[in-house]
Amino acid sequence: MVAYRRRRRSFPRRKVCRFCADSNVKIDYKDPKLLKYFITERGKIIPRRISGNCARHQREITTAIKRARHIALMPYTTIQPH
Amino acid sequence: MRRYETLFIVTPDSSDEDLQAVADKFKGVITSMNGKIAAYDEQGKKSLAYNIKKQSKGHYVLMDYLGQADVVAELERNMRLDDRILKYLTVKLADQVDPDTVEEEKPKPRRAAETTDVSEEEDQSAEAQESEEEESLEEESEEE
Repeated sequence: MVAYRRRRRSFPRRKVCRFCADSNVKIDYKDPKLLKYFITERGKIIPRRISGNCARHQREITTAIKRARHIALMPYTTIQPH
Repeated sequence: MRRYETLFIVTPDSSDEDLQAVADKFKGVITSMNGKIAAYDEQGKKSLAYNIKKQSKGHYVLMDYLGQADVVAELERNMRLDDRILKYLTVKLADQVDPDTVEEEKPKPRRAAETTDVSEEEDQSAEAQESEEEESLEEESEEE
């Protein structure tokens, strides 16, 4: 029964990768306003299964966020070390 | 030649003359190594996402240039030695660029010191994400 239920569980509607839908949006590490949609309030990168990005664009987002962190445009964490 | 861009942070207590001196110095480094400046854009004073060398703000400068790999090595060596530079990041934009096709951009009018706080703005997106997750969980439980 359990297995049956699991199979029947409803899927949240499949999100479309917003970068595939609109090719005008460029992923750039210098644009924290765009990138902040893909991190949690703690600063962690939101996984693809939740953000709905395709693999290619998720990879670009990840690289961009890591670059932005390096140059202090985005936080590594929101808990400030002493 | 390759095209690179370097984004670097100048210490916030530097005056306009200091910024000019920094600009002249690093432009000189590139041209002395047979590189070519494509753009030099001072993006103004912004607050940093975390403190660097006990500073919470900094002047962001974006420099776009052409050159061989040794230009980057020399530029970064100079930046490491310079106390006015808090941090830098170099990214390769393109391989195999013909220097004649790239013109130097006119420097854009400098924007007034914008202080965009990175840490405050991000909260909304995370919240939105969470509420969506909750929704999908609810749907599941209803079926059971």
